[in-house]
This record gives sequence, structure tokens and C-alpha cells, in this order.
Amino acid sequence: MGFIREIVRNRYLYVLALPGLLFLIVFAYVPMAGHLIAFKQYRLADGIWGSKWIGFDNFKFFFMGSDWYKVTFNTIFLNGLFIVCGLGIALLLAIFLSEIQNALYKKIAQSLIFMPYFISWLVVSMMVFAFLNMTDGILNRTLAANGLDPKNWYLMPSIWPAVLTIVYVWKFAGYYSIIFLAAIAGISGEYYESARIDGATRFQQIIHITLPLIRNVVIVLALLGVGRIFYGDFGMIYGIVGDTAPLYPTTDVIDTYSYRALRQLGDFGKSSAVIMYQSVMGLVTIIIFNALAKRIDNDASLF
Amino acid sequence: MIFRKGLTVIAATVLLLVTAACGSNSNDAGNTASSNKSANEAISGTSSSQLDPITLKIVVPGDRPADMDTVIKEAESRMADTINVKLNLVFIPWSDLAQKTQVMLASGEDVDLIFDAPWLHLDQMISAGYYEPLEDLMDKYGQDAVKVRSDQMFDANKFQGHIYALPLGNTHLAGRTYLVRKDLREKYGLPPIQSYDDLIKFAYKVKENEKDIVPLLAYGQSGQKDVSWGAFRSFMEYDPQLLRSDALGQSLVLYYKNNDSKVYNLFDEMEPRVWSWIKDARKLYTDGLIHPDVLAIKDVDSVINSGKVAVATYNEFGVPSSISAALAQNAPGAELEAVTFIKMEKGKNITNFKQANFQAIPKVSKHKERAMMFLNWAADKDNYDLLAYGIEGNNYEKIGDDQYKQIGSGYSYFPYAWIWNPTTDRLNGGFDEESIKHYQFNKEASNLTPSILTGFSFDPTPVINEISLYNATEDKYYNSLFNGVTDPDATWTKFKKEAEGNAKKIQVELQKQIDSFLASKK
Repeated sequence: MGFIREIVRNRYLYVLALPGLLFLIVFAYVPMAGHLIAFKQYRLADGIWGSKWIGFDNFKFFFMGSDWYKVTFNTIFLNGLFIVCGLGIALLLAIFLSEIQNALYKKIAQSLIFMPYFISWLVVSMMVFAFLNMTDGILNRTLAANGLDPKNWYLMPSIWPAVLTIVYVWKFAGYYSIIFLAAIAGISGEYYESARIDGATRFQQIIHITLPLIRNVVIVLALLGVGRIFYGDFGMIYGIVGDTAPLYPTTDVIDTYSYRALRQLGDFGKSSAVIMYQSVMGLVTIIIFNALAKRIDNDASLF
Repeated sequence: MIFRKGLTVIAATVLLLVTAACGSNSNDAGNTASSNKSANEAISGTSSSQLDPITLKIVVPGDRPADMDTVIKEAESRMADTINVKLNLVFIPWSDLAQKTQVMLASGEDVDLIFDAPWLHLDQMISAGYYEPLEDLMDKYGQDAVKVRSDQMFDANKFQGHIYALPLGNTHLAGRTYLVRKDLREKYGLPPIQSYDDLIKFAYKVKENEKDIVPLLAYGQSGQKDVSWGAFRSFMEYDPQLLRSDALGQSLVLYYKNNDSKVYNLFDEMEPRVWSWIKDARKLYTDGLIHPDVLAIKDVDSVINSGKVAVATYNEFGVPSSISAALAQNAPGAELEAVTFIKMEKGKNITNFKQANFQAIPKVSKHKERAMMFLNWAADKDNYDLLAYGIEGNNYEKIGDDQYKQIGSGYSYFPYAWIWNPTTDRLNGGFDEESIKHYQFNKEASNLTPSILTGFSFDPTPVINEISLYNATEDKYYNSLFNGVTDPDATWTKFKKEAEGNAKKIQVELQKQIDSFLASKK
């Protein structure tokens, strides 16, 4: 009864939420039935229900080879780097920005940091190539000018997790820092005022007031990132690394690997099987990390 | 040695006899078809004036040319008195092509003609039953569309024994070319390049004299294995020709030779010639001739356009006008010439006549007859000119009977998406004489030796897991190997260890299907 009363009482609020809910139902919940395809020999003509049930056959191609644990490791490792460095540096940026007194300078700095977010991966990939290539790359020219040997970065897989992380941070730190800035702006000025009266330094204010008060936002963003930790950012990694084979050992993620394995076959069932693997593993990790977050702070967890 | 050579000659003659017999058979079929044709023409000639106007929905890949509407208007006015068809061309960007066309077909959208291809999803769509078999329609309404294509083109592009889609192509052999900087060659006083050795000599000259120009560039991204430096040479070396298999597409690891219906596997026994190509590529790479970024470059054209390479591999005959224009702009004085070592000798090249592009009529179409009539109408020389090149004088200029010159960019070239054929197609007049000769030579099906596997198509289903795994492994090594970027021995050992098992299974399955195909042909 309480449920209906609640809805009746706040009906206008719920009507407001309706479009969002519908969006979620149509684009997030209904497609879940599509996971069925992973267990079927899917043919368009037969439809999802009509296609033949083949159990776990579609999963074989992925788990039969020796590469699946490598690409799974790469996916988690790269995404881990992205989450930690991305959020960490965004947090620093947000704190620095919030400490800037000159409003005009603050606005300009903020815009400049935010700008890379709008640059498409294709352009970023060309910039990375212009920077790192062997023939006339900026980095190698600088090395040569300083009497050092140029290196063929595109043959050195070991540096690429770092390259990708730098690119990721450069592109997304501004975006996340704005979310943090909003959270910082929401902190009541009275805290700082009384801290100053008690003689706290700027640094102490940051450590003891700002950080604890935006901790929840940080945890929520981290959790959202962790939920997608099994999805390699295909646009980014395929955009930048492309089909450059020597870099596969450290940059090949689940998405790019399956793309290469399946691109000539166009097999719905097998690609669904990979997505299913990513979703299930993602679900498991987010449940674990959410439980951890709950331990630290009951309010910080997602659910 | 001599004895073995003798054997091959005998084998070749036997083959020739066999294929000649097949050839004459199909010629007979062609003759009867054309005699039917005249009878039918008489019928359609009388009845065509009473046709109701209808609109054909035609799905093609690419971007809509700016002058499309003018061309459609002209075409419709030409058709008004005869087949009375209006055209609704739907253009789909290449990147969305696979998905969009699949959804269109699956949802039963009312489409009358649709582009499809083996590299897209032609086989899947046919086996899912989306396309109408075309034989009856062609007999009744499509005689001209049949006539402008060779019998081989139809025989070789059947699916499950039927023609489900009209093959589109303007040649029977894919062109392969080295684009060479003519201005540099002349600067060093070198004669025109005649052989691979000449090419490499030129490359070393460039290396010595030009600091800012990289001598050689090939493709290194793993989607483009056939154009890597070492593997590319297989298209231009003979006795025997090594042909890529039907199962692994661009890869040389499984291959055919001698037209003997056997599948060879490089992991079983390394072909000395292939190994020498790999070694040669390695030497060129370590000597600094092959572009050091060869594996990382995604857009090869733009590097050629920048004028910073002297030789590049390319998948057509002739220098494409877009590249020569861009190069002239970026590096004044630079000029490209097309060099190919593909022989223009009758019967020298083996081909299976497979085409890469097709036009199909979906089962749901309500105007199948009209769709075929339209294809037939488009096979007429004047009509083809209009649809392929636009309005004469505005979009193009005729050069003789078989060449054209494009004017402006209002009507970009896309006949390969809907009406291409070897007979009425015109060649780009900007090509050099040699390339034009190659095109003309390979338009004639009889100039080529038909592969014993002509008409065979591989069904990957039984080994689909192996193929997907094999592809993923091969992508790691193939292009570094054939572009000489990594040490051949070490790379080959690793590649072999990881891929051998899957390659073997694919080879066995392919051989099995080939054997049963040949058995059924007898």
C-alpha cells in the first residue's frame, strides 16, 4: 500500500522520471534478452527465438586459444591504470582549480583542460603518431637533436600502457575534474571559515575538509569505472594502436582481440558470447567492489 | 629436374584440354542464350510501352554524389517510354554497410536491388534465403545484362549452384602495381623499371641520395596482408604462380600452385620462394629501405601523397588520379608511374574469376521483373555512360570508345556498386598506356587460365572456431614477417608454434571440400 501511496503523492516527480526510465528499459533492460544469442547459432532469418540452441559452442573460439587470459589481463590492467590515474589526476586538478582566486584565470584554465575531451580518437591517433613515429616524429627529432638515438616506439610494447594512460588522462582528466569541482563547490564555506579561525593552513584545509567531503563522489566514479573494467575502450585502443601487431602483447584487449578474430566472419553468436563474458565478469567485479566500498563507508556504495 | 618439368608440361596440357572442353561447353550455352534473346527482345519490344510507372528502391554503398539528382532525372526521362522506372537510390556509408543492409533485409524492408558481396555477407544472406535466384529473370528480361559479362563471370560466381546476384566487375584479374616516383628515377638517369631487381636498385639509389625520402612503403596493418612487401611479390612471380586459398583470404600460409587442386601449407613445408621473399624483406628493412613505421602507418595513401616515399605497393593497375593530384599539390615536380611485373601473356595468369561486388534482388521486392529490366537497360552503352560517369560535358568527357576523363567532382565514380561490367566500362584516360593495356587485356576472359577451382566456394562453418583463432594469431606475426620488421627465423618459429594446429585443421577441411567439389563436377 505504501508503494502506491508514495507514487500517488509524488506523481509529478515520477512523471518527470518517466522518460529516463523508459530509456533505460528500452536500451538497457530489454536488450539483456539479447544475451540469449550467445547460446545460439544465430541466423537473422530465423530470429532470436528460431535459431538453433547450441549451448556453449560460441564460447569455444575465445577460450580455446591461448590468448584469452592475456587479453583479459591487458583489459583489466589498462582499465585499472585509467581509473586510478584518470581519477587521481582529475582530483588534483579539481583541487588546484578550486584554489585559484582569479576568476578569469580559473575559467581559462578550466576550459583548456576540458578541451581535449572534445577531440575524437581518430584525431588523437594522428597526434600520437605524429609524436612517436620513427621517420619524423616530434619525440625522435628531439632525441636526435640532443644527440640521443631515436627509437622506434611502435616496436616497443612495454611503453604503451604508459602512452595510453597519458593520452587517457589528457583527454578525460578535465571532464572528471569538472564533476569534482561541482562537488567541491557544494561544500559549505562555513567549514573553511571556522578552520581558518582555528588557524588551519591551506594544505590542512584540503586534507581535512575538502578530501573527506568529496570522498563519496570519488568512490562512486571509481565504482562506475570498475563496472566497465572488462570492456576495453575500443574506440580509443583500436583508434590509437589500430592493427599494429608488435604492440599487441600489452595493448590487445578483449574487444580488439575479438574484433580481429571475428571481423571476416560476421558471427553474431560469437561476438555475443564475448560480450556475455565481459558483462558477467563486470557484474561480479562491481558486486565485489561495491561490497568493499560499503565496508569503508555505507553511503558511498552504489547499491 | 628436366623429367619433372616434362611432367608439369604434360599436366598443363591435360588441364588445358580439360578446361578447353569445359570452355566450349559454356560457349554453347552462351549461344543458345543469345538466340533466345533476340526472340525475347521482340516480345518485350511490343509490350514495353504499356508498363505502369513504378519506383525501384536501390541500395548502394558510399556517399550520394552532388549531381545524382540530375543524372536520375535524365535516366528516368530516357526510361519513360520503355521500362518506365523511377529510381530511388539509397546510399549507405561504407562503415554502416554491413549492419544496415542486414537489418534492412531482416526487417523485410521493401528493397528492389541491393548491393552485397562475399566480403560483406552475401553467402549468409543467400543461405538465409533473402535473395531471389536470377536465372529465370535473366533469361526473360536480362539478356543484355548477361551479354556484357563473360560466361566465366557467371559460372564462377554461383552460390549453391545458382546465380543469386549479378556479378559486378570490370576485369577478370585484380591489378597490382608498384607506384614509383618517376621524377626521382629520371633524376638519377635510370631507365624505366623492368624487373624487381631494377626496382631495388632504384630504391638503393634513393636511399643514398635523398635524406627525406623513404625508399619503400608497403602496408603493415593486419587487415591488409596481401599488400605487405614480401607477400605482394607473389602476384608478380610465375612458374608456378602461388595463389591464395579460399579459406584464408589474404594469407599465403595456405596456398595453391600448379592448378593441381591441392592445398599447400607453409607450416608443412616452407616454399623456398616465399622464404626468399621474407629474407629479402628483412634485408631491405634492416638496410633502412622499407619504411621504419610500416607497421604503424594506418593511412598509406596520405604518406604516398606527402611525397615522402619513392616506391609503394598498390592494389590496382595504374596510378589513381586522386593520388597523383594530391602528390602534385604537396610536392611540386613529383610524379608517379605505375610499374607492374604481371605478365600480359595469354594464359599466363590463373584466375578463379571470382568477383568482389554484386547486385542482388531481394525476395521481398514487388518489382523483380522491373529490377532486372533496369539492370538490362543499364547494360546499354549510352545508359551505362550516363549512370557511371554522369552527364556528358558536365561530369565527364568521352575519350574514344573505352576511356573517359572526369570533370570536376560533382559525380564521383561508383559503377562498381551497381552496374559495373567489363564490356561497357570506360577506363580512366589519365592512366598510362601500359596500365590501360593491362586492363584491356584482362577484360577478356579468354586471356586468362581458369583455375581448376573456378566455381568453388568454401563453407567455413565446420572450422569456424579454428579460423577465428587462426586469424587472431596470424595478425600478430604475418605483417612483421613479410615487411621484414622482425627476425624471420624467430618470428616464423613462434608463428608456427601457435598457429600450426589450427592451420592444419583448416587445410584438411578445405581439401575435403575441394575434393568433393571436383568429384561432383565430373
